[in-house]
Amino acid sequence: MTNCLTWQGRVASYVDAELPCPEMEAFRAHLATCPDCAATTLALMESKMAVRRAGNRYAAPPELRAKVLSLAKDEPAVARGAIGGDRARFRTIVPRYWTGWAIVTAALLLLAAGLFLAANRRQNAKAVAEFADLHVTALASANPVEVVSTDRHTVKPWFQGRIPFTFDLPDLQATPYTLVGGRVAYFHQEPGAHLIFGYQRHLISVFIFRDTPQVAMPASFFADNTSSFTLRTWTQQGLRYVILGDANAAAIANLMELLQRAR
Amino acid sequence: MKAETASYGEFERLAMPLFDSLYNFARWLAEDATEAEDLVQETFKKALHGFASFVPDSDFRAWMFRILRNTFLTSRTGLRARLTVELDPEDEETTPVTWETPESLALASATREALQAALDGLPVVYREAVLLCDVEEMKYQEIAQVLSVPVGTVMSRIARGRKLLRQMLAGERSVRSGSAWK
Ligand SMILES: [Zn+2]
Repeated sequence: MTNCLTWQGRVASYVDAELPCPEMEAFRAHLATCPDCAATTLALMESKMAVRRAGNRYAAPPELRAKVLSLAKDEPAVARGAIGGDRARFRTIVPRYWTGWAIVTAALLLLAAGLFLAANRRQNAKAVAEFADLHVTALASANPVEVVSTDRHTVKPWFQGRIPFTFDLPDLQATPYTLVGGRVAYFHQEPGAHLIFGYQRHLISVFIFRDTPQVAMPASFFADNTSSFTLRTWTQQGLRYVILGDANAAAIANLMELLQRAR
Repeated sequence: MKAETASYGEFERLAMPLFDSLYNFARWLAEDATEAEDLVQETFKKALHGFASFVPDSDFRAWMFRILRNTFLTSRTGLRARLTVELDPEDEETTPVTWETPESLALASATREALQAALDGLPVVYREAVLLCDVEEMKYQEIAQVLSVPVGTVMSRIARGRKLLRQMLAGERSVRSGSAWK
């Protein structure tokens, strides 16, 4: 594992999108073959997102904004002509802010795909990677769920009129799982339900879509023990269920059973 | 007069989109909301006065954050933080980068509140580096401009900050107990 030591030293630069292009490619190629480095990388990516969520903590009081805006008006002699009329030369910062994040998300998608590919090379990993991306993107967003409720009798009706089917949710009392909420997700322009469940400190995504050829997938993708993602999928009553998260494989399987028995 | 108005409008156009991030960052540095508000006001005042010296084509966001951070360093809380740094050299270039996946997972799966408490407990030098990298998503080069340190120092501070966070969340030791500075 001498080789891996070199790679592990670059994990942070990779996750922070700071590796030069050729090294980035080489790093990705290594991830596809090395579950250890892939797991480390995924863990750091998830940590980075967790810090991002936690770090966006304070909202500025509106009075302060007003004060700051009025500061400028009280300072008529500011920047006298120094840079007037040369607007075009200023760099716009907003797009840069977004590209950084887009790179991380794209890298994560590739990594998730790579992990599953490494485990199940011949399987159709495209759909898997897309669901992994939906999961990760939702958890990384400021509002992962649109309907926040632990009550299945609130969440289920919320989807009525928003998606073209209905589904049943299990009673989770007396189980270690909690319902966190739900949102509408899109898979190939098709609306479906994205439910988020809590298990210990893990968040597990359950996607429900009408069963179409696009969402057809092999029943399970286990990257090996060192990887932090497990995905299971099945169909029932014309619906395709996909369950995905970083909880252990048994926890995912138990939730799958609860969903299959839901009436 | 026309040029003046244009540059004033230019400042507002460039600076106001940064207002929320600057305030969030100020709150993370300062001890309370009042100090953070003063910090943000002071930053905008200084930036407004110094806008003529801002070099077009350079990084305006880094420039604003740098003013805020320098203003913080001269505040009471900032002086105390700086004193701590000087008393405790951080052997920056010798910090080895090692990864322990279970610890990393503890960080990724920590609650938002637990993570916020851990960030609060982090010494300011590491807290600011990690926040600029993960929350503001600045490039190492940009963070180096904000903090006025070499890129290598930025990288080791981020690595050390993340490592301390992981350790705190894995419950191995408390940084507040003073062991963080050796
Ligand atoms: Zn490796």
